[in-house]
Amino acid sequence: MTPAARERLSITVPLLLITGAAWTILVVGPGTMAMPDGSSAATLATNLSTSRGMAVPDLCSAPTLSATSFSNSRHLRLAFSLLASFAASWMLMLTAMMMPVLIAPVRHIRDRSFTKRRARAIVLFLTGYAAIWIAAGVVLLTLAAAAPLIVSRLSVALAIATFVALVWQFSPAKQLCLNRCHARPELSAFGLAADLDAFRFGFMHGSSCVGSCWALMLLPLLVSRGHVAAMAVVAIWIFAERLDGPMPPRWRWRGLGKVVRIAVAQTRLRLQNS
Amino acid sequence: MTFTRTNVWALGSDWADAILWYARGVAAMKARALAEPTSWRFYGAIHGIDQPLWKLLGYLKSSDAMPSAANLSRFWKQCQHGSWYFLPWHRGYLLAFEANIRAEVLKLGGPNDWALPYWNYFKPNQFKLPPAFASADWPDGKGNNPLFVPQRYGPNSDGDVYVPVNQINLDAMTDSDFTGVGSGGDPGFGGVDTGFEHGGPTHGRLESQPHDMVHGLVGGGDPNNPNLPGLMSDPDTAGLDPIFWLHHGNIDRLWQVWRQSPPTDVDPTEPNWLKGPANIGERIFSMPMPDGKSWDYTPTEMTDLGKLGYTYDDLSPAVATPQPAARFQRLGMSAVAAEAMRGGPAVTIGKNVELVGANRGSLKIIGSEARTSVQLDSGVRRKVSRSLRAAAEAAAPERALPVAAPDRVFLNLENVRGLTDSTVFRVYVGLPDGANPADHPERLAGSIALFGVRKASLADGEHAGQGLTFALEITNIVDTLHLNNSLDVDALDVRILPARPVPETAQISIGRVSIFRQGR
Repeated sequence: MTPAARERLSITVPLLLITGAAWTILVVGPGTMAMPDGSSAATLATNLSTSRGMAVPDLCSAPTLSATSFSNSRHLRLAFSLLASFAASWMLMLTAMMMPVLIAPVRHIRDRSFTKRRARAIVLFLTGYAAIWIAAGVVLLTLAAAAPLIVSRLSVALAIATFVALVWQFSPAKQLCLNRCHARPELSAFGLAADLDAFRFGFMHGSSCVGSCWALMLLPLLVSRGHVAAMAVVAIWIFAERLDGPMPPRWRWRGLGKVVRIAVAQTRLRLQNS
Repeated sequence: MTFTRTNVWALGSDWADAILWYARGVAAMKARALAEPTSWRFYGAIHGIDQPLWKLLGYLKSSDAMPSAANLSRFWKQCQHGSWYFLPWHRGYLLAFEANIRAEVLKLGGPNDWALPYWNYFKPNQFKLPPAFASADWPDGKGNNPLFVPQRYGPNSDGDVYVPVNQINLDAMTDSDFTGVGSGGDPGFGGVDTGFEHGGPTHGRLESQPHDMVHGLVGGGDPNNPNLPGLMSDPDTAGLDPIFWLHHGNIDRLWQVWRQSPPTDVDPTEPNWLKGPANIGERIFSMPMPDGKSWDYTPTEMTDLGKLGYTYDDLSPAVATPQPAARFQRLGMSAVAAEAMRGGPAVTIGKNVELVGANRGSLKIIGSEARTSVQLDSGVRRKVSRSLRAAAEAAAPERALPVAAPDRVFLNLENVRGLTDSTVFRVYVGLPDGANPADHPERLAGSIALFGVRKASLADGEHAGQGLTFALEITNIVDTLHLNNSLDVDALDVRILPARPVPETAQISIGRVSIFRQGR
C-alpha cells in the first residue's frame, strides 16, 4: 500500500464505520424516527393532516405559525416532538448518505491542522456542513410535506420532482456546484482563525453540496414505499458523481460512469489475482 | 534494434545529422492539418490545449477544422501532472512522438536508427539552448527553421534562452521513494498516488525539479505582455515547442538513472500504478501512431526501457548515493558509530506527517520580494528537536536493532494561485535579518516554477481553483539550525525572491506557508 493510500484509509475507515452505523439504524432501527410509519415525509404529512387535524406545513413553515395553532399545550408538545424527530431523522439521513463524500474534505482538514487540533477542526467542519444542510432540510421537508396537499396524488408529486431532478442533473448549474465540492481552501493554523476557517470550509462545502444534491435528496422524501432503498440509490448516485473531477459547466449527463468503470476494473483485477 | 538517445551537445555540431533529421520530421508534422492525429499541433494538444490561448499565440485559427469527437475524447488533454503517472505517461508520449518523427525521417530517406536527442542542461557548459533551436534559419541560411519558435523567451524574458544552473537541482535523485504523500511530507521521486482522482495539487520531486523549473525558465513570458507565457511555460502550449521533447528526453533519462539503484530506488508495484488510470476509472493512455492506429499503454509496459528497445548514451549516476549514516554523523553521532552503521542495522524512516507551523494569512507575490513568518507550535517543534538529538545519541548499532531516522522537514507553499505560469522564484528559510540571500546558499529551500498554476487556479478547472502546492525539503536547513542552537524559536522567516519582478496583474498568491515534519 502506498503512503498516500495509508493516509486515505485513516479517514476512510472511521467515516465508513459511521456510515454503516447510520444505515444499520435506518434499516433495522426503531421506526426510523421522524417517519414513524417507515415511510416518507410526504406520507407523514398526509396522515397528520387527515387523522390529527393538523397541517404539517404549520409545523414546518415558520411564517404560517400562529398563536392559535399552539393554544393547546398537547399540540405544542406534539409540535416540538415532531420537530425534534424530524431534525434527528434528517441528521441520520445526512449521516448515512453524505459521510462517504466527506472523506476527501475531512482528509484536507486533518492533514492541514495541528495534530492536537485535528478532532476539533473536523467537528467544526462537520458543524458548518450540517448547519447549511439543516437549513436546506427545513425547505426540502416542507416541500415534501406540502406536496400531497398541493397535488392530488403523491405519485404526481414524485413525477414532478423526478423531472426537476433530471433537468438539474443535466444543467451547467449542477456542474458549477459539483466543481465547488472539490475546492480545498487554505486553512489558518492557530486560534480562533483556525476554528473559523474550519467552520467556514464546512459551511462552504455544505453549500456546494446542497446546490449539487438538493433535487436528488428530495426524491426519497417523496417515496412512500421503499424510502430507505430510495435513499440508498440516491446516496450511491451522489457518491458516484463526486468521483468525477471538476469540468467546465455545460449541459451534460452526469451519473454512474466512473464508478461503473472502477468497479469493472477492480473486479477484473481481483479475478486475475485470485 | 536498440535506439540510442544521445546528448544533443555531444552530437558533434550544431546541425548534426540527428538534429537535421529531427527538424525535417518536425517540418513534416507541422505541415499537416490540426485534425490529423499525427500532426504537430494535434500532438501538442495531446499534452494540453487552451483554445483562447492558442488563438492568442497564433496556433489556432477559426478556419481550422477540429478533429472528430472520438479523437478529441481519446487523445487530447491527456497530460499527467501532480500524479504518480507523470513519468510513465510522458515516457509513452515521447516514444509515440519519436515513432512519428522517425516515420517521417524514413520517408525522407533518413537513417532507420534515428532517435531523439536529449538536452542535459546539468552538464558543464550545456545550459544554453542548443543553437539549432535558437536560429530562425535552417543551416543553409534559409528561414522557416521548424525548431525555432518566437514564443520562447528564456529566464529573463528577453529572448536569451538558457537554463541558469543555480536555479535547478537534482535533489529528487536522492529520494529513494518513488511515491509519497500530498499531505505536507515527501511527495516522492515520481509523485503522489492520488487515488481515484486524475491528479492533485502537489507535484512529485522530479516533476517539480528540474522538470517544472526548466519549463518556466526556457519558456519565460512575453516581455510585452507579462501574462502571456512562452510556449514551454504553460502545460497547454508546451508540446508545441520542439525543445519540449528534448527536455522530456532528459527527464525520462533521469528516471532511468534513478532506477539503477535497487533495492531502494524501485518503481511502484501497486496494481493501480502498474495497470494505469484505467484501473481507477480514468482514461487509458493512448497515442496516435504513424500507421493510423492508436497505441494504448500502461505504466507496467513503460518500466523496462530495454524491452522497449531504447537506451541513453549516458546513464551514469547523476548524484552520489545518499548515506543515512552521514546525516547521523552530521547531527553528532560519533564517527565510529556512524561507520559501524554502514551495512549494520536498518534505519527505519517514520511516515507520520504532522504540521509544525504556519504563517498567518495569504501572501501576495508582487515585485521582487515577498516575506512572511512561519509561526511554530512549540510542542511539535520540540518533537523535531528531540528526534534530531536522538539521532546524535543513537546507541552503537552493533545491537542490530533498527535505528530510527531523525525527522525530515518540509516547507510547504500551499494553494499557490495566479495567472502566469512563467513565474519562477527562490525560497529562503531562516535568513538572518538584513542578510543578502545570495550570501546564504545554505538557507535556500529551493526554487519553484509555477508550471500549471493558471489552470489550477480556475474555479471550474481540474483543480477546482485550489492552485498548486509545493513541498520543499528543508531537512538540511533545520539540521543546521538545530546544530547552531537556533531552532528553539517561535517563528522562522521565509523570503521569496522571484527571478523576475512579478507584476500585480499576475495575481500570484500563496494561500499558506507552512512547515511539516515527517517521522515517527
